[in-house]
This record gives sequence, C-alpha cells and structure tokens, in this order.
Amino acid sequence: MTTVATTLAPIERGRAGLREEILSEWTKLRSVRSTWIALVVVVVAGIGLSALVTNIEAGRWAGLGVVDRAQFDPVRFSQTGEFISQFVVGVLGALIVTSEYATGSIRTTLATIPRRTTVLAAKGIVIAAVIFVVAELTAFASFFVSQAVLMAHGGKALPSGSSIVAQIKSPTIPVASITSTGAARAVFLCGVYLVLLTIIALGIGFMLRHTAGAISLYVGLLLVLPLIIQILPSSISNSIERYLPSNLGLAMIVVTTRKTDFAGVLMSPWAAAGTLALYAAVIVVVGGWVLVRRDA
Amino acid sequence: MIEATRLSKSYGRTRAVDGLSFEVRAGVVTGFLGPNGSGKSTTMRMIMGLDRPNAGDVTLDGRRYHDLKWPLREVGALLEATAVHPGRSARNHLLSLAQTNAIQKERVDEVLELVGLTAVAGRKVGKYSLGMSQRLGIASALLGDPGVLLFDEPINGLDPEGILWVRNLLKSLAGEGRTIFVSSHLMSEMSLSATDLVVIGRGKLIADTTVDDFIRSNTVATVLVRSPEAGRLADALSSIGASVTRGEGDSLLVTKVDPARIGDAAHAAGIALHELSPQQASLEEVFMELTSDSVDFHGHARVGVAS
Repeated sequence: MTTVATTLAPIERGRAGLREEILSEWTKLRSVRSTWIALVVVVVAGIGLSALVTNIEAGRWAGLGVVDRAQFDPVRFSQTGEFISQFVVGVLGALIVTSEYATGSIRTTLATIPRRTTVLAAKGIVIAAVIFVVAELTAFASFFVSQAVLMAHGGKALPSGSSIVAQIKSPTIPVASITSTGAARAVFLCGVYLVLLTIIALGIGFMLRHTAGAISLYVGLLLVLPLIIQILPSSISNSIERYLPSNLGLAMIVVTTRKTDFAGVLMSPWAAAGTLALYAAVIVVVGGWVLVRRDA
Repeated sequence: MIEATRLSKSYGRTRAVDGLSFEVRAGVVTGFLGPNGSGKSTTMRMIMGLDRPNAGDVTLDGRRYHDLKWPLREVGALLEATAVHPGRSARNHLLSLAQTNAIQKERVDEVLELVGLTAVAGRKVGKYSLGMSQRLGIASALLGDPGVLLFDEPINGLDPEGILWVRNLLKSLAGEGRTIFVSSHLMSEMSLSATDLVVIGRGKLIADTTVDDFIRSNTVATVLVRSPEAGRLADALSSIGASVTRGEGDSLLVTKVDPARIGDAAHAAGIALHELSPQQASLEEVFMELTSDSVDFHGHARVGVAS
C-alpha cells in the first residue's frame, strides 16, 4: 500500500504568516453560502429599501409640513437600507469567528497558524475588505437610484447654497447631486460605518466566542443601549447620546451642513468616524487579548 | 520525536494532566491509552500549542509547536473529525488549510484520493457520515506530508473496512520513519496497530513501554486444561506446585507452571488431556486491571432505590 507519495514541494524560507492566512480566510469566507446570502441582503436591502422609502417620501412632499420639509435630506434618505445592513454585517462579522468556535475548527485554524494575532488580523482584513467593497458599491448605487426615484416624482435640485427656507418653500422635492456639499462624503461614510461595525462584531466574536452571545451584545449596542440612555434624565442623556454607535453612524451619514434638529446633538462626520474607529480598535484589542490568553 | 516533560494542566480545580513525562519515538506507531476523561485530548492539545500547560513542556523534534515555521508541514493532527464548518465542501476545507502553509492545490486532490473521498469532495461536510468525516480529518493531517502525526481516536465511526484501512495506514506511515501518536480508549485496537504504548489514568503516567512488554509484565500466564478426569488432574498438578482453579465443566485454569510441565504431569499420572492451551491476556484486560483505580466514572450496578 502506498501512502503518502507526494508532489508537495518543500519550502525553505519564511514562515506561515499573514499572507497565507489571508488567502485561507478568503477561501473560508467565500466557500459558505451564508456569506453570499448576507452580501445579497446588504445589496438588496441597501438599494431596495432606500429606493422604497425615498419613493414614499417623494409622494408625500406636497403634503409635508414645515418641520418635515426642513429635515428632509435626500442623501440620508438614499441610505435608509443601512438600518438593515448594519445587523447583517454584524452577524457576518461575528459568525466568521463564532462559527469556528461552535464547530471546534478554530483549533485547526490556530494549529495551522500558531501566531494567534495573525489569525485575528487576517480575518479582520478579509472581512473588512469584502464589506468595504460591497457596502461602498451599495451606498453609491442606493444614492443614484434614490435620486432617480426623486426625479421621477418631479424632484429638482435646489441651487447650491440654498437656505433652509428655500427648501421648505420648494414646490418640488429636492434632489441631491453627488457633487452637492457633503453628499459624496455622507455616502462614502455610510460604507465606512458598515465596515467599522463589522470589525466591532468580529472583535466581540473573539471576546465572547459564542454566536448567540456575540450577536446579542452587538444588537444591544445598536438598539438597546440607545433606549436605556433615553430613560436617563436628559441632562445626562444629552451628553452621552452623541457617543452611541448608532448616533455616530447617523452623524457619518447625514449632511449636516443644512441646519437640522440634529445640529448640536451629533458629532461632525469625520469626528464620528474617528470615534467609531476608536471603539472598533478597543474591542479588537480586547478580543485579541482573549484570543491570545485563553486556551483555544 | 515527541517529548513531554512533567506536563501539567488544570481546569479550575480539576487536574486534567498531572506531571506527565513520556517520549514518542519515530518509526513506530505509539498508542496513547487511557479511559475517557484521563487527559488524552488535553495532552494532544498541549502538544499542538492550543492549550497552555500550567507547568512542564512538550517539544516536537526539540522545538515547541509555537516555534514551528510551517506547522502543517511538520505536524499533522486529527483532533476532532467533526470540527469542520458543515456548510463547506471537503475540497474547500482542505484548500483553506493548505493555503495557510503554502501547500499547492494539487496536494489537496492528492490527499482526497488517498483517503478515498475524491468522489464526494464537492459535497458539504455537514452531509458526511462520521466515517467520512474521520477520513477527511486524516486527509487534513496528511496535507503537509508531516514527519509527526497525531490522531485522536481515529477509528471512531469507521466501519470494519475503514478500521483496517486506518490500521494499515498508521503502520505504513510509521514505516516511512514518521512519528505516529494515536490515542484510543479501545485497547484491543492498540494491540493490533501499536508497537509502543503510553498509558495514562487521571492525567498521570501509568506506563511508557512497548505493547509486548506491557502485556508480559502485567499478566500472569494462565493455562486452560480440560480433562475427563479433572479432579485427579488437579491433585496431580497441585503436587508439582501449580495453582489450580476449577473452571466450567471439566476445565481447569492453571498458573505457576508452563504447559510442558502440565502435559508431563498428566502423562506420568496416566490422565488423558482434551485441551491444553496457554491463555494470552488481552491488552484490554491488562488495561482494565491497571486503570481500574483511576477511572473517573464507573458504571455501577443498581443496588437499591436511592432514598
């Protein structure tokens, strides 16, 4: 009986590292159906839900009151699907870690690459790159589709530099151009928001190792924490609210050059992105610490 | 070669492995025996650098696992056969492993062929039987053509043909000069495939020896004798210093004298013998005897209604 007659070429240099692990993580990510389902949901929810909500809003323009008209942001409306996508990318980010703990295959992974921080880095790089590409394409597609919907309802772009009064008095619903002030930034940061959330979920996955626990904590941060903060006296909640992940996301996506009721409540877009990135970094460091310190 | 030195590991207050030292040499199959829960899997995980020992050290050809540059090319392991994402195909699973250690794609097909999974390589692993999962686990261990191989309970779930296949595979891998360390709680299996033995109970070393020596040094040679005149034979044997126990029917179990002297004594007394057979104690029996004190979870016959 011949056993292990091999064509395996020997290797002299280097060591199993980040490059090899990135290739492997990409193979793992693309070879399960849940990845593709999640990405399809991100795209379909992103474009579809945004277009749908924009369509509803456009039909109501003539009947909208002063406050609603003043708050209307054609860019923000074009990114409504983000509300669904944030949960989908979170589940995906957590699952690529916790599914390995659930099956026990994390031990195989860590045996093939004994440097555990390399495994964490490779998983982060691969999932962040994939979500970045998909989320950005979706965000920009949503933007253009939604503006087309607005134009189909007779929407017109307001002259640049128009006041809030001009928007309230406009007979047709305002349409944004990608070159409008803040539009490209808001759309781009919507994709970045989803990438940072994915990394946060990945870090939580390494911290908790259990799918249900990781997803609960993630959803809790986005949905439950804001509710808890709201219960607090407004003197306290007002100073905390802007630091909530969901409000950082909102700050990244709204075009704050127009004075809306968000002004003063939210951070500036880039400050919000930086703060969320800081959260992601802290959570990944804690997750990495757990990964290195605890037995696999 | 695998070398464990005073290896210890506790989980909370449970001592899973307790000052374990042993050596696994290259070129033979070494069986790693112990009852369930005796610390075999924990030891395997420490060899692989997955669990950190509280004390002691384990090296592979003189190096710690963590210091191996291309670990899959030096150490192959089957730890848990079912530790694979159920939605992934066998080929993609092996490919993802191969890529971590710069192993070419062709090698994936090669090991699939070797374990006989080529025809089902594209099927989701979740649809595999336990036997097929074991074969996939063995394929992943062989992927890097490593010099050291660890198998944790490799025959679990295999059919008789699969068991024979694994037994032959282990022997031929050892014949190629590799270090083969195979854990099992099935002693009879080890007596067929292993040459050396490391036996543990409750995390402590019980024996580090060869299968032959293990059986020889732990058994009393017994001879089964049958005769129509069993009663008279028993007296004759006792008179030459044998220890005789009545067995079923006309049989006797004789110790302390060898079969030749039993035959001579019967002949001298003019007693006919219908059977004279040396009894080989099985590894199973020896093992049960040795580890009976260190089994954590005995099955108990029910002796009454719990109050």
